[in-house]
Amino acid sequence: MNTAPAHITPIAAAAAALQALAPAAAHEVASVGPPFNKYICHACGYTYDEAVGDADSGLAAGTRFEDIPDDWACPLCGVTKADFEPYSAPSLDELRARATGAAPVAVRSGTPGVLIVGGGRAGWQMAEALRALDAALPITLVSACAADVYDKPLLSVAVARQMDPGKLVKETGADAAKRLGVRLLAHTDAVRICPDTRSLRTTRGTLRYDQLVLAHGAQAALPPALPAAHCWRINHLGAYRRLRTALGTEPKDVLIVGAGLIGSELANDLALGGHRITLLDVMAQPLARWPGEQAGGPLLDAWKDLPIHFVGGVQVAGVEKLGGGYRITTACGQKFAADQVIAAAGLTTPPRLAQSAALAWNNGIAVDAATLRTSDPRIHALGDCITINGQASRFIEPIARQARAIAAHICGGEPAPYEAKPVVVRVKTTSRPMTLH
Amino acid sequence: MNPADLPPELATPPAGLIDAVRAIAQGPLAEQAYAIDRGAYPVDVMKQLAAAGAMSAHLPQPDGTPGDYGLAIAAMAEAAKVCGATGFMMWCQCVAGLYMQASGNPALTGERLARHVHGESLGGTGLSNPMKSFAQIESLLLKATPVEGGYRVNGTLPWVSNLGPDHYFGAIASVQIDGACAGREMMFMLRCDAPGVTLKACPEFSGMEGTGTYSVHCKDLFVSGDDIVADPAKPYIARIRGGFVLLQCGIAAGIIQGAIDSMWAVEGQLGHVNQYLEDRPAELQAEFDALVARIMKLAETPFDTSTDYFIDVLDARAHGAELCLRAANSALMHQGARGYLMSSEVQRRVREAQFVAIVTPAIKHLRKEIARLSAEEMPA
Repeated sequence: MNTAPAHITPIAAAAAALQALAPAAAHEVASVGPPFNKYICHACGYTYDEAVGDADSGLAAGTRFEDIPDDWACPLCGVTKADFEPYSAPSLDELRARATGAAPVAVRSGTPGVLIVGGGRAGWQMAEALRALDAALPITLVSACAADVYDKPLLSVAVARQMDPGKLVKETGADAAKRLGVRLLAHTDAVRICPDTRSLRTTRGTLRYDQLVLAHGAQAALPPALPAAHCWRINHLGAYRRLRTALGTEPKDVLIVGAGLIGSELANDLALGGHRITLLDVMAQPLARWPGEQAGGPLLDAWKDLPIHFVGGVQVAGVEKLGGGYRITTACGQKFAADQVIAAAGLTTPPRLAQSAALAWNNGIAVDAATLRTSDPRIHALGDCITINGQASRFIEPIARQARAIAAHICGGEPAPYEAKPVVVRVKTTSRPMTLH
Repeated sequence: MNPADLPPELATPPAGLIDAVRAIAQGPLAEQAYAIDRGAYPVDVMKQLAAAGAMSAHLPQPDGTPGDYGLAIAAMAEAAKVCGATGFMMWCQCVAGLYMQASGNPALTGERLARHVHGESLGGTGLSNPMKSFAQIESLLLKATPVEGGYRVNGTLPWVSNLGPDHYFGAIASVQIDGACAGREMMFMLRCDAPGVTLKACPEFSGMEGTGTYSVHCKDLFVSGDDIVADPAKPYIARIRGGFVLLQCGIAAGIIQGAIDSMWAVEGQLGHVNQYLEDRPAELQAEFDALVARIMKLAETPFDTSTDYFIDVLDARAHGAELCLRAANSALMHQGARGYLMSSEVQRRVREAQFVAIVTPAIKHLRKEIARLSAEEMPA
């Protein structure tokens, strides 16, 4: 079949033809009185231009929108006049500028390289470790948020240190990506791993990989008695900022469920900021996960002069919205009122991606203790989402060493096996800082 | 491998229904497929398919057997392999049946549902606008004002399919009290022949013109209790949304398999050049088979209301649409000029695949909705 054009259009004629594609003025009539307006159809995007009219429906050029009969219908999709709204064409430059700022989408070409899921510390440490070993390796990082770089431990002390939550970002995700030569897909949700085609399905298209690294972290466990719509969970900067906005500048009544590390640190910090804290736990004392340390007593002692009311040995049975605040009921029948409720009842790994690839699971994504490889040879994992022999270790210190072990395993060369070490935890309860082993 | 066969997951259902659908699809439907694409509504084929049980396998059967969503999807795929437009109309008829059956309204579940199931009457769905409204993409176009004995409905829906002068479809209107939104919606079966309803032809689309697609104008349409599907509509939609979207996968499945089959059809002659193409049939078939296995697994629990399940359904539907585009395009590359003939099913399938990708929920809507559902819920 020959589909080549019969002749080549001279360049000049082509230019004239292109100019003719520019918005036509031929059918427009000169405006007498106020300038002509445009109206857009909600349903299909057709625009009615008063200057042009709608000849097919008998509306002459110059017919004002308000003069169109009510039974007139959109010539494209048929909805009524009432389904139109005023329209002014946005500036193309403005739209182009906005589109440049938006997250990119997946492309199918090129060598896939390494794909990292997660834009927190584990994801960025992974990118750093890979880049340190291989300057040319294609690295793509997918993050549900902006992937801005910040120090998560600061979320436990920001109030006492009078840090503006808006200024905790050390480097934007976009800048980090540029510095490391990483293609960043921000505000992109990873939906499913298809191991057969070595691809990751996301909300911005499907990405292929040679090696996949899961660094998507864990999320706050939320027992059924704590509805998501009523309880804050502070596991990343975005939620923390929103909580701080909700707390505002005046002292508030804040109820925290769970007096582990996060719950105790937040209670301490928010109390130093003047908020009145009720701290509940199923155990009789705070920090009871470290029974050998007997840390609870001294901590409660240090909190004596702070507005922290600890109630141990209680189980939350329900949280309900009551006026502008919440009422929290315990299984034993105690009731508490609060302006805001924070759930700090531990962390759990979201199983979606691991399940989609049928990865071995043991209380989290099960990985090999030395190489941090999952049960799929092309998928590694690190940080808060993994377990080694069924044990999670959700702390900052191991992450960089885990990233180096994986990078060595992926890039070849000198092996750098990961060693799980006992973690020393510094509790950032500034009223009584302590170290737990 | 026999390329004319569907993958095992689609071929395993009881031979009876699938054989019957295949006979209709490859007989009278194949003869009309080109005419349907250009604008002929295949009322006879639709009635034959319904009578064979091809659009009711997902509904609880008269003997008490629960509905089989996998079988309904397989039946739809069998027809869509030959004609995507017919596959789409089967989906319309399927979900109209689901609306009535799940309404629990005796006026809809009795005689009217029986006639629908047997293909004596035909119907569709006008939920494109409400689905986009619930996903915060656009606002509701129909407004319902409570009146004695029911509601008075006004507004216009663009592009509702599988309609005819005596057909009906499921619609959702926002309830208005004293001219303001009452904060709830109600769902009803809209009868095209009711006073106040006008069907208007749409401008010409690039394909699938015989799908009985009209814009529907309602001027003071009275809706009585007999036509109410759900009031309020949202809890009901939460219950059926998984099945509603999942059933659509049948259209994509048929188009993908049809495209792969047409690649194999020229392999003997053109394999020596086609080997240089990406998206070869075996590769696409493997990806498709894995997708079908996922869809069939999801089809076992269509009424799972969990967010995770619905995300999986939306993602399977999106994967189907994406694979449709790739498979149909690749089939055209494989067939070359012969596939580009106006009469060729191969280029028709490119347009059918584009339809699957843009019909509500379109690929972009699916991704936006998955993103919305993936966000952690926090206090307002």
